[in-house]
This record gives sequence, structure tokens and C-alpha cells, in this order.
Amino acid sequence: MQGRRKILYIFNFDLIMRKKFIIHFLWFTLPIIAIAYPADLFISHILKTSNNFAHFEYPIWNKIFEGKMDAKVVIYGSSRAWVHIDPQMISDSFGTTAYNLGVDGHNLGLQYLRHQQLLKHNPKPKVIVHAIDIFTFGKQPDLYNSEQFLPYMLHNDDLKTALLDYNGFRPVDFKIPLIRYLGRYSAIKETIGQYFRLDPNLPERIQGFQAQDKVWDGEFEKTKDKTKAFYVKLDASKIQLFESYIEDCKQKNIKLIFVQTPEYIEGQHFEKNRAEIVALLKTISQKHNIPFLSYSSDPLCYNKKYFYNAMHLNKTGTDLFNVKLVRDLRKTGIKFN
Amino acid sequence: MLFNSISFAVFLPIVFLLYWFTTNRNLKLQNLLLLFSSYFFYACWDYRFLFLLAFSTLLDYYTGIKIHQATNTRTKKNWLWLSISINLGLLGIFKYYNFFTESFTEALSFIGIKSQMLSLNLILPIGISFYTFHGLSYIIDIYNNRIKPEKNFVDYSLFVSFFPLLVAGPIERATHLLPQIKKKRTFTYANTTDGLRQIMWGLFKKLVIADNCAEYVNAVFNNSADYSASTHIVAAIFFTFQIYGDFSGYSDIALGTARLLGIDLLRNFAFPFFSRDIAEFWRRWHISLSSWFKDYLYIPLGGSKGSIWMKIRNTFIIFLVSGFWHGANWTFIVWGFLNALYIMPSILFNTNRNNIYTVASGRKFANFKEIQQMISTFGLTVFAFIFFRADTITSAVSYISSIFSASVFSIPEMIRPELVILLLAFFMIEWNGREYHYAIEHFGSKWPRIMRISFYYLLLFIIFLYAGTTQNFIYFQF
Repeated sequence: MQGRRKILYIFNFDLIMRKKFIIHFLWFTLPIIAIAYPADLFISHILKTSNNFAHFEYPIWNKIFEGKMDAKVVIYGSSRAWVHIDPQMISDSFGTTAYNLGVDGHNLGLQYLRHQQLLKHNPKPKVIVHAIDIFTFGKQPDLYNSEQFLPYMLHNDDLKTALLDYNGFRPVDFKIPLIRYLGRYSAIKETIGQYFRLDPNLPERIQGFQAQDKVWDGEFEKTKDKTKAFYVKLDASKIQLFESYIEDCKQKNIKLIFVQTPEYIEGQHFEKNRAEIVALLKTISQKHNIPFLSYSSDPLCYNKKYFYNAMHLNKTGTDLFNVKLVRDLRKTGIKFN
Repeated sequence: MLFNSISFAVFLPIVFLLYWFTTNRNLKLQNLLLLFSSYFFYACWDYRFLFLLAFSTLLDYYTGIKIHQATNTRTKKNWLWLSISINLGLLGIFKYYNFFTESFTEALSFIGIKSQMLSLNLILPIGISFYTFHGLSYIIDIYNNRIKPEKNFVDYSLFVSFFPLLVAGPIERATHLLPQIKKKRTFTYANTTDGLRQIMWGLFKKLVIADNCAEYVNAVFNNSADYSASTHIVAAIFFTFQIYGDFSGYSDIALGTARLLGIDLLRNFAFPFFSRDIAEFWRRWHISLSSWFKDYLYIPLGGSKGSIWMKIRNTFIIFLVSGFWHGANWTFIVWGFLNALYIMPSILFNTNRNNIYTVASGRKFANFKEIQQMISTFGLTVFAFIFFRADTITSAVSYISSIFSASVFSIPEMIRPELVILLLAFFMIEWNGREYHYAIEHFGSKWPRIMRISFYYLLLFIIFLYAGTTQNFIYFQF
């Protein structure tokens, strides 16, 4: 009898201890759970006020998500849109409103996401000037500059669908507050900086455009020494996406113009399958009767002084290029206002 | 399922609750739950290799019984060698086959014979080196009459596949783990909170120290020609911190997880960077592997007994095999060779047990001589780890040779001040806790409870803020 009582006592004591542990554990985690959602809201709210973090993308996303993008002409593309095409020149020349939505380091996948979000939250534009290049259909497994999505991700299914195709975020990052900020030291630092107004936060992108006042950086020569040439792997799903994007624009009566902005000529020779990709781009544009303005052989391409690297014009080059672009846009006969 | 993943954060509490709240009255059920969880855990990596794990388990279970039942030494030996051959054969095929064929082809071409040997496109089954060694130690112990074979297949399978140690150790011994599996585990509050604390410290080491160092190390080692000599030195030091944070962090999480389930695993690290000589370093680094090689290779070979040449031979064998165990690459063999060279003076002059106890035991600070000894031991370790990290011997040699240039006096590139601060704080906490099982085992034990809890929150906050880009655990590849 005594032995049984002892066993019961031990069992009860054991159970009490287990329960005690669970209660203490819950008490310990409760503040973390309680703080997670407000902290997420706070960080996201402050972070997206930053003009200069995440490659200057927040002002653009803010305008898109807040439905404040009412430009008649929008410019799509990667960094070759962002640093090459001046919307102010287009606005002034055609008496319209224009905005540059170029997204640094991303090809059609992310450009299309931006396009979808633009149409979802804003009035549709009349014309899209789309800067296309040999990377437009490239394979891109990693999510470059993933910080640009941080403040908008929580419970956003559109972003979830688009971004989970890349390596970078997990499904929980879209569902559980704060998780996606794990290890994002620079984003938290920026939030603190913005909250205490530690930097002037002057906008660097004017109507989404940012001319680069830089000189040739010599990186191309270094790369050339190391590598013979590079080959862009094409992603068949991107070509399909491009077709459906064109169809979508047609249906919505949005005019498309494709532009291949200048690239330094030696850099062009470095791209192994350039001719093949350019031919593909031309074929698609001809098939859909879309103007294709190519500046690959423009005299600008032959002079380093207009570039800061093999793929990007500097401010001097951009100023000259935009004059030519406006002239050629006019020739397309498309109405911009 | 990585220890630092969300899925593990869901998996572990479920196992914990089922283990202590539903199956706790029945030991058999508890073991079955752990076995099922372990196989599920392994299947999350690659379910295709479950059969290999099950086969290896079945093989050693069966041969263990056969060795015990054998009436004469010859039959015993036959069963032992059958098990050893199959175990090492599987390890050899999956891990070393391509290395051997490539090396053989290269050797033949060196003497002018051209040959084309078939190389296999095999995926290395995760944890194979670890569970093979579990099985080997078990059957060798039975052969040597140290233990009796385990009759209960579930208990034996759990010994081999217990999920905290399944993929990267510690390499357990049947004498240590099996009795715990067979005995009813009782829940103790102190043990469980201690387990959680150790997991937290392991996460800090892995996510903050190792993963942040890894970003720097990868950048430099992958493009070493672009960086100055001083940056090379810093990257080599950071790699040493990375591998320590990574592997000892993993071990802490494994030990802490097992402790949550009332099981004590073998300690794997004992503050190796506070070693005063290489012999001490090897008593403190990857202890479960070093002691495995000592017990099952070094001592059977004669150990430190016999002539001086025997000692030298045995030392080189154990270090070369240990290096080769890490991976099918000459870089690991050179790493092992270097460590054998380092330890040789202490073996020859019989000074390898000069530093048995923890440095500066009972004192706050080390004396000048101890500091000097620790720095030189650390320096030798850093140098050897360059081979461990490099992809080929050629790249290791070129990395080392680029250190000897004028830019060694330049300011190292890309150093993040916050990482340096974190490393210093890490170093201080490790030093402070060097006499315990892990650094924060008694950290703040004399503080009021509120301060201690605040420290845990601070640690979690630092992990949240500074967790580096997720990197796989280095030892998973072995």
C-alpha cells in the first residue's frame, strides 16, 4: 500500500513538474507572441518610409500599393530602365505624365509582378515603354534585393505567389509576423534610423528615375580577364509569360513599346548568345506588331565615357540617349497623353 | 529538417508533448514514439535513404546477436568482419567511390597509363558516417565482450537513429546510450530548462556566430585573388570560428534536445580554443569522434605503447583516417596530416597529458604563459583549417601563399564592426563558462530570476537581429 502511494506521489509530482514547465514556458513565450504583430506593423510602417534603403524601391512600391500611381506613361524594365529612361523628358516632350517603374536586378518575373500590382491598385496607364534586354527571359533562381518586399509581405497572397518561385522567402514569412525580419539587421537598423530621423532621407529617384553621375568603373576589364564570355540561360516559362503579358496589355488597350537601351559594345561581344536572344525579342515584337527601338548599335555604345559599366549609361550618356529616345518615340505615332 | 528551421520548431514541441503527456506511462510506447519521430525526421531529409538506415540497423542488430551466440572465436570473427565489411563497404561506395576511382585514374595517367574508370553520380546519404560508426562501435563492443547484444529491435533501432544525433552526432556508444533507452525516463524541471538553455546557446552559436562568419569566409575563399593578405588571415580566423560555432552549436542543440527528452548524450566540445597544446585541443574538439578513433583504432593498433616508430605510425594513422572520415578529398587528409605533425612533439616527448585540466581553473584570467600557449595552439589550428575549408590542395596552397605579401599590413576588408563585437562577447561568455558543460550553463545563476530571464530575452533578440544568411550545417556533408 505504501509503495503504491509512493508511486502515486512520484507520478503526481512528475505531472506537477511537467505542467509547471509548460506554464513557465508559455509565460516566457507570451511576451514574444504578444509583441510580434505590433512590432511587425511598426517596423514595416517605418521601414517603408525610407527612400534610400533596398535600392530605392520603397517609394515606388508605396505608390503602387497605395494606388497613387496615376501616370499615363510607365516605364518597365530592370536597372536599364531605372537608370536610362527619364520620365521627365517624356512628360515634357509629350505633355503627359510619366513614371519609371524599373526594378533593379530583376527580369520579367518581377517586372510582371509590378505590372500586376500596378493594374490592381491604380488606374491603367495608356502606354508602357518596356526596356527589354538579353536578361529579360533569363533564369533567376535567387531573389535579388529581397528587402524591397519586407514591409508589404505579411498576409499578401499576390507577393507570396510571385516570390515563392525564388529562393529567398518561405511560406511562413508571409503568414507569421516578424519571422521574415529574422537576421535582417540592416532593415532593423534602417527602421531605427528612420524612426529617429538619423539621416535626411532625401528621395534619390525622381519619378522613379535615377541618373548615375559616375565614371567608368573598370569592372568589365576585370571580369574579362577572369571569364571568356557568358551565356544567358533562357527560361521557357518567362517567354510564355511575356506572351501573356502582351496579350493582357492588348486586351486592356495599353500600348506597348519595346526599347533596347544602349550597352557598351565590348560588353555586347562578351554575351555569347546575344544574337539569338535579340532575334527572339524582335520576332515576338514583330508578331504582335509592337514597336521595337534598339540602340545596340547606336554610336553611344562605342564610347566608354558614356557608361559607368558595360551595361549602364552614366548621366552624360543618359542625357544624350533620352533625346534620341524621345525623337524615336514620337516616330512610332503612338499617343502618349 | 534543419535544427534551425521552422519545421523543427513545430516538430520538437509535438514530440515533446506526446512524449511526456501521452506516452509517458509506457516506456515501450515512448521508445516507439521516438523511433517513429526519428525516422520521420530522417525522411524529411531524404526518404529514399530510409531503407539504407534500416538496413544498416538490421545488419548490426543481427550480426550483434550472431557474434554473441558464436561458440568459437573464428565464427565470432567472421560475423564481426562481415558486419565491418558491409558497413564500411556502404560508406565506401556512397562516400569514397568517386574519390578512389578519380585518384586511381590520376595516378595511372601520371605513369603514362590512360584509363577511363566509371564514376558514379551518387548522393551522399545524410548522417551515414555517423550511424555507421554507431553500428560499428556496437558490434566491436559485443565482440570484445564489453556489452551484450540488444534483443529488443525497437530499442536498438532507437540507439542508432535517435533523431537529435542521427545526422551529425555526437557519435554515441551503446554502453552509454542503450541503458538510458532501456530505463524509464523521469521528467525533471531543471533538466528540461537546462536543455532549452543549451538549445538557445546552440542557436546563438550557429545563427549568429557561424552564419555571419560564413558570409565573410565564403566571399573571401571563393574569390581569394580579389582580397588582401590581411583579409585572408581574418577569413581563416573567421572560418575557425565558423566551424566551431556551426558544429558545437549543432551539438549543443542536439544535446539540449535529447535532454528535453530525458536523455543525456555524450559531450562533443569542451571549449577547444582554450587549449594550451594540440593534444589538449584534440581532447576538447569533436570529442565523440576523437574518442571513437582512440578506442576502436588507436588502442587496437597498440596506442602509445611499443617503440617510438609504433607511436609515430599509430598517431599518423589515426589522424589521417580521421581526416579522411570528414570527406573524400585530399584537403581533409592534409588537414589530418598537419594535426598529426602538430601533435608529434608531445607524443615523442610524452607531454601530451601536460594540460589535462581546464585552463586557469578557479581563476578569472589566464597567466601570460597560458595566453601565449593558447594563441599558438589557436594559430596552428587556424592554419590547418585553411585546408579543411579549401576545395582543393592547390587553392589552399595559393590561399596560404597569398598571405605572404605586402598587403598583410593593410587594413582587412569588409569587416563588420558588429560582428567583431559579437565575436568578442561570444569569446568572453565562452571564457566565463569554460568550466561548465556549455558556456551559459550557469551564466547568471546567482542573478535574480528577472535578470536571468532578461538575459535569455536579450539572447533571443540578438539571434533575431543578427542571424546570418541561413547556411547548412557543415558537418551534414560528412
